[in-house]
Amino acid sequence: MDIRPKVLVTKIGLDGHDRGSRIVAAHLRDAGMEVVYTPPWQEIAAVVKLAQEEDVDVIGVSSLATDHLIVPRLMEALRAAGLSEVGVIVGGIVPDDDERALLDAGVARVFHPGTSLADIATYVRELAARSRAAKFAA
Amino acid sequence: MEKSSLTLLSADAVRRGDRAAIARAITALENEMPGAAALADALATEAGRAHVIGITGPPGAGKSTLIAALLAECTKRGRRIAVVAVDPSSPLSGGAVLGDRIRMSEQAAAENVFVRSLASRGHAGGLARTTRRIVDLLDAAGYDPVIVETVGAGQSEVAIAALADTCAVVCPPGLGDDVQAIKAGILEIADLLVVSKGDSALATATVRDLEGMLALRARRGGWKVPVLLTSAARGEGVAALLDAADAHAQACGRGRRLARPEPAPADERARTAALAARDAFARNCRIELVDAGAGHAEVAMTVGAEHLNFNGTCHGGALFALADTAFGLASNSHGRVAAGIEVHISYHAAAREGERLAARASEVSRTRRLATYRIEVRRGARGEGDLVASFTGTVYVTGRHHDSPDGEAPTRSSRRSP
Repeated sequence: MDIRPKVLVTKIGLDGHDRGSRIVAAHLRDAGMEVVYTPPWQEIAAVVKLAQEEDVDVIGVSSLATDHLIVPRLMEALRAAGLSEVGVIVGGIVPDDDERALLDAGVARVFHPGTSLADIATYVRELAARSRAAKFAA
Repeated sequence: MEKSSLTLLSADAVRRGDRAAIARAITALENEMPGAAALADALATEAGRAHVIGITGPPGAGKSTLIAALLAECTKRGRRIAVVAVDPSSPLSGGAVLGDRIRMSEQAAAENVFVRSLASRGHAGGLARTTRRIVDLLDAAGYDPVIVETVGAGQSEVAIAALADTCAVVCPPGLGDDVQAIKAGILEIADLLVVSKGDSALATATVRDLEGMLALRARRGGWKVPVLLTSAARGEGVAALLDAADAHAQACGRGRRLARPEPAPADERARTAALAARDAFARNCRIELVDAGAGHAEVAMTVGAEHLNFNGTCHGGALFALADTAFGLASNSHGRVAAGIEVHISYHAAAREGERLAARASEVSRTRRLATYRIEVRRGARGEGDLVASFTGTVYVTGRHHDSPDGEAPTRSSRRSP
C-alpha cells in the first residue's frame, strides 16, 4: 500500500542551531511528506515517546555541534521501546570515524554538508517505505 | 500481512491503553488500512464515555499553547488525556508540517498524556477526514478528556461542532472589527468563548466585545456561553476553563458525535473502486485508480505513444481525461450520482512519453445540490513532481444513489409514494 511517509525532524542534546532542520523539514513537506517538527533541545525519552505516539516511519536527527554522539543512546532507547523498525538518519557535521560508530549503532545513513535536498527526500521516501513495510509485517 | 493486521491491530491492547497498539491503530485508521474497519467496529460500542473538547480559532490564536496549559492542568488533576491536533496539508504538495506539538512538547512528555498529530489531507471543515474514528479509538482506550485541535479556523471550519461535546473557540485579543467579521462563523458554534493572551492590554476589551455579542443572541439548550479570560503564559484562567468545560459536559452530556452515524470508510473506497472499474473510457485511456475516499480521488497514467499530439507531447485531451476521471470519482464518492456541469483546465507544462502523471481531486465545497472540486495533474507516481495542469470542476448532485438497485437513495425509498 502506498502511504504518505511520516517523518520526525528533531534535534537532541544542547545544540540550538535549528536552521538546517527547518530547511529539511520544509523540503520534505514540499516533497509530499507529513513532517512532525520539534524545536531543538529534545530529551531522548521525549523523542521516543513522540515517535511512538505519532507512529513515524523515519526520524531525522540534525546535529551540528557534537550532538550526534548521543544518537547511539537514542537508538538504544528506540529498541528498548520496541521501535527498531523506525529508520533513523543523521544530518549535519559528523566526522568520518563517528559516522562509522553511528552506522554500527543502527543509523541508516548520515548526510553531510552539501547533500542536495532532493537526495535527502528520495532517500527518506525509500527508508519510510521499508520502515512501514517492516512495521506492518512484523 | 494479514497476520500482522490481527496481531498489531488488537482491540484488547487498545482497551488496555497500550501506547504502541493505540499509535499503530491510529495509523491504520488514518490510512484506511486492512483491518482498520474491523477494529473500529470492535471498539465502537465503547465510545461515548470520554468528554470530547474541541479547541478551534483563527491561526495564531494560541490554541496549541492553551492546550499545553490544559494538559498541565489535567495532569495535575490526575486525568489521562489525549490530544488530536490537526494541521493543514499543503494544497500544492500534499505534504504537511505538523507543528502543534511544538507548543506542548514539555507537557506531551508526561506519562498520562497521548498526543497525535494529523494532517488534514485536503479535507474541508477544519479536521482530517478520519478524526472522528481516531477520537472514538482514544475514547475506547480510556482517555478522558480527548481534546481535538482544529486547523486554524475562520468562518466555515465548523466540523468540530458535530464532533466535540464541548466546543471552545479561542479568540485572540485585538482582532477589533474582525471579531465582528467572524461572529457569524465559528463564534456561533462556541460552547465556551476563550480570550487568549490575557496578559495583553487589549484582552479585557475583547472580553467585553464578546459578551456584548452574546447578549444579542438567544441561549442554546439552556446553556449560557461563558467568556473566559486566559493567559497560558501566566497559567491564569486555565483551571477555570477546565471547570467550565466540565460544567458544560454535565449540563449538555457527552458523546454528541454518536448521534450522527458515519459511513464506514471502506464504503467510499469500495464504491469508488467499483465506479472506476466500469469506466470504459478511463480504461481505454489507461487511467488507473490509485487512491479514493469521501470527496477525494487520485488516478494515474503513464504517457504512452497513443497519448501524444502532433508535437510529440501529451495531448491536452489526455490530460483533461486524467483530471476529469479524478473529478468524476471524487464527486461520486459520497454515494449520490453527480454529473459534471462546468469545468475549467489550465495547462502549465508539457508531459512526454514514458512519464507517469497523477491527478488528485479534492473537494472544495459541497452542498446538497452542488459541489466543486480542484484537481491537480502532476508528474510522478503520487504526483510529487511539477504541476502539469490544474482543473476546477462543478457537479450537480442528483437525487439518485449508486448503491441502491433502483437508483433511489435508500433513505428516501420508504417515503416514496408507490
